[in-house]
Amino acid sequence: MTSAVRFKNVCRHFGAIRAVDGLNLEIAPGEFFALLGPSGSGKTTSLRLIAGFERPTAGHIEIFGERADAIPPYRRNVNTVFQDYALFPHLSVLENVAYGLKMKGVAKKQRLARAEELLELVQLPGYGDRSPAKLSGGQRQRVALARALVNEPKVLLLDEPLGALDLKLREQMQEELKSLQKRLAITFVFVTHDQGEALSMADRIAVFNEGKIMQVGTPEEIYRAPRSRFVADFVGSSNVLPPDLVERLTGTRAWASLRPEAVRLVSRGGHSATLVSSSFLGAQRRAVFDFDGFQITALLAADAKLPEPGKTARLAWGESDLHLMEDEPVDGPEGAA
Amino acid sequence: MSSAAAAILPPRGGPSGAASDAFWRHPKFLLLLLLTPPLLWLGIIYLGSLFALLAQSFFAIDHYTGMIDYTPTLRTYRELLTTPANLDIIVRTVLMAACVTLFSALIAFPIAYYAARYARGKWKALFYLGVMLPLWSSYLVKIYAWKLILAKEGIFNWVLAKLHLYWLLDAYLSLPVIGGNSLSVSYTGTFLVFVYVWLPYMILPLQASLERLPNNLLEASADLGAAPRQTFWSVIFPLALPGAIAGSIFTFSLTLGDYIIPQIVGSSRLFIGQAVYMQQGTAGNIPLAAAFTVVPMVIMGFYLWMAKRMGAFDAL
Amino acid sequence: MKRSFKTFTAILAVSAFVSQTTISAAAAAEMLQKLGDGEGEVSIVAWPGYIERGETDENYDWVTDFEEETGCKVNVKTANTSDEMVALMNQGGFDLVTASGDASLRLVAGKRVQPINVDLIPSWKTIDDRLKDAPWHTVDGVHYGVPYQWGPNVLMYNTDVFKEAPKSWNVVFEKQDLPDGKTNEGRVQAYDGPIYIADAANYLMAHKPELGIKDPYELNEEQYKAALDLLRGQRKLVSRYWHDAFIQIDDFKNEGVVASSSWPFQVNLLASEDAPIASTIPEEGATGWADSTMMHADAEHPNCAYMWMEHSLKPKVQGDLAAWFGSVPVVPAACKGNELLGDEGCKTNGFEDFDKIKFWRTPVADCDSQDECIPYYRWVSDYIGVIGGR
Repeated sequence: MTSAVRFKNVCRHFGAIRAVDGLNLEIAPGEFFALLGPSGSGKTTSLRLIAGFERPTAGHIEIFGERADAIPPYRRNVNTVFQDYALFPHLSVLENVAYGLKMKGVAKKQRLARAEELLELVQLPGYGDRSPAKLSGGQRQRVALARALVNEPKVLLLDEPLGALDLKLREQMQEELKSLQKRLAITFVFVTHDQGEALSMADRIAVFNEGKIMQVGTPEEIYRAPRSRFVADFVGSSNVLPPDLVERLTGTRAWASLRPEAVRLVSRGGHSATLVSSSFLGAQRRAVFDFDGFQITALLAADAKLPEPGKTARLAWGESDLHLMEDEPVDGPEGAA
Repeated sequence: MSSAAAAILPPRGGPSGAASDAFWRHPKFLLLLLLTPPLLWLGIIYLGSLFALLAQSFFAIDHYTGMIDYTPTLRTYRELLTTPANLDIIVRTVLMAACVTLFSALIAFPIAYYAARYARGKWKALFYLGVMLPLWSSYLVKIYAWKLILAKEGIFNWVLAKLHLYWLLDAYLSLPVIGGNSLSVSYTGTFLVFVYVWLPYMILPLQASLERLPNNLLEASADLGAAPRQTFWSVIFPLALPGAIAGSIFTFSLTLGDYIIPQIVGSSRLFIGQAVYMQQGTAGNIPLAAAFTVVPMVIMGFYLWMAKRMGAFDAL
Repeated sequence: MKRSFKTFTAILAVSAFVSQTTISAAAAAEMLQKLGDGEGEVSIVAWPGYIERGETDENYDWVTDFEEETGCKVNVKTANTSDEMVALMNQGGFDLVTASGDASLRLVAGKRVQPINVDLIPSWKTIDDRLKDAPWHTVDGVHYGVPYQWGPNVLMYNTDVFKEAPKSWNVVFEKQDLPDGKTNEGRVQAYDGPIYIADAANYLMAHKPELGIKDPYELNEEQYKAALDLLRGQRKLVSRYWHDAFIQIDDFKNEGVVASSSWPFQVNLLASEDAPIASTIPEEGATGWADSTMMHADAEHPNCAYMWMEHSLKPKVQGDLAAWFGSVPVVPAACKGNELLGDEGCKTNGFEDFDKIKFWRTPVADCDSQDECIPYYRWVSDYIGVIGGR
């Protein structure tokens, strides 16, 4: 099967800055795909390369099997929901949504009717006559979505689509976007720096750092089995254990990650550690222990019986919870220590 | 932190300290204080003189003695609008202002677009310098310089002669209305100098409006399938229109009112500004001069009204 | 000598109007009978270049010694048109004005100036007899001004084209081939002021005697129409009308203009640059201007003002000024022995042509030579029409 989007050794350099550096990636049709990474990691540039706003300095991009790197944006059947929505201020909501059809030369009556349908799809029926300036952030978001969907794109690109919304609206929109994607069966590629968002929404995730992809996988894979310290750190705040410690614990010399929620408090057995601090998070309690000179964070039940800070407790975890990171070189700067 | 520090600091000394506190408590008072002088200036000096002028236009000159008759009448307006020579002046001026405005917008756009969207750093500085530089030198010097450029024995003709293209100019000058004995005594010459002198007033607002145009709107347009031409007419043009209108208000009204350029470069046929100058000055016919000055005001009012109707200010 | 032009806003017009209506009620002051001590200063509205204190060229200074002798400090406010002068005088605050004939009678009629007691001006008797009672400063036998300078509107021509001086103004009025074999279309100029209608009338006086024009500033409907027709024909010959002396100079240098009415000022300037330019007063005669120093009705410094008027008639002042401005002194004695003017200066500037000259006056409806004449405001609007191609 052809990929919906395929990057082949794609580079996008701005002078000395390597925004995207040797990218290889395949996104399957119908996938809800997340590009996750800190700011400046190259995820937005990758999205812009798909949209056609940037051209690769090397390598090439295929969209549904066709070479696209020399095709201008207006000839790609790919649409974008912009981070700040980029609604046309001089057009009404309905005209904004109908814009893509107008450019295609669809007659006014049809395109306005179709735009109205799209507004219903994003749950804004009857908002057509308003000016975008008069809408709330969430409403604008939906208009931007409707506008991008009106041309029935093969791939929908979303650039930090929920970044400007408050928490509650964000959770609601996450659900909506997901169900919309299932219904329309369009390939969604979305950029985010919020690992929670990526984990909860995406079918697969590519984690970016410094213009390169660190790991591609399902949310579970990424979360449970980070292949590098960067991914472990960035996705889910894992405990990262250095090779010396891991060697003592398992006999294998490698970096390993240990998710905080995998750490249990036991009365006997396990490993002895000193409680440094603890904080109450509502449903859970987070405790930081000193373990052989390393800090280990544990996410415990809210009513867990913790000793006084400075006193010893016993910690345990499942053998499989200690995940060895195969991509992380053992002799890294801290590994030798 | 020292425990001796008070939570509330003592009032600052002197009247300025007390005034600062009072202004903070009554911000409107400060606003009033700041606005009164300019409002007085605007109200009395500017509007006052404007109304005095308007009032003048409703008097008429006594055709026997040449004295002004101070009984309100519309006779002066009738004279203005029924005398063919006066109508000529109005039509001539409005046409010229319209041509100058359109052409200025046409050549200002690419310059402004480049400056707003591409020029960075020193190129931007260079752009501002280039646009503003003509504004710094004396208006009269510029016009005299243009007279020398366009004269029959001037630089422009000399260059054309060297290029063996003189026949082209000759053919152009033999055209009726826009032609003449030489460029410097033709409408074309007047037009060129007008465009040159007022162009910065078109470029700067246009550039400001293009600068405010977010790049992602252009990307969104292309993304939605608009070819560059479509993007121009559907996004750039409507959003740059307020700037173009602002610029055109300058170029249009400045051309309507100018009386020096057509005096120096042109065919001696009068424009409104010159007519005002001549009527109020040499002829002592202040009512007619006032009526003449009302013409650009009415035209500009109408122009703004049209622009508003066309939605030029909606995006403001 | 309406040199150049200047910003003259509508606001100024209005303020002129306001002051006119409020002040004009003041009656003209009585004539001064006895000269007292100077008041320490005198302020004068003058044409640019008329009152020089050596700042432009140190050779031309007729103010410094006056100030030293009398202790009257001279303040000059220059004005570029007759109308600006009238406006300034209406505003008040000035003692003297160097008014031309098209402004002087307006000032008298508006009671902005006071009668001059010629007995207080010892040099009055040295004035050219032809000017002592000239109508532009004398009304009903009362003198309202002291002549200052005068000059003709000459026919300036290019000597490369005209080997001999043109005999008639027809070179600028009628379509014809000039001596170099080329047409005069686009190569002649006319003055861009309504007063130029008088030049056309002057031409018609000689060439169409049946119209019965007696005075080019006093035209009836028929004579006026004939003058306008002549000017309409001239419009086809003229590419640009001249208004500013320096633009005209430039047009003779760069625009291929070879003949035009002009002032000696331009002629002298061009000649000093070795341009092939000369001037003549053709057989029809010419129009001209004559300026008088007039005294404000409410002059605050009348004694200094009288002292200045006396000073202005000194042969040295008159001669220097004539040399500077290209005009003719009103004191014949100034023509001899003036270093700057030279012995031929007066002749060059038109001294002997006085009788050929019809001096500028404001045309009024109530004229002397006929029952009713076309007043100046119509000259203005019709001349605009003619230049506009109507």
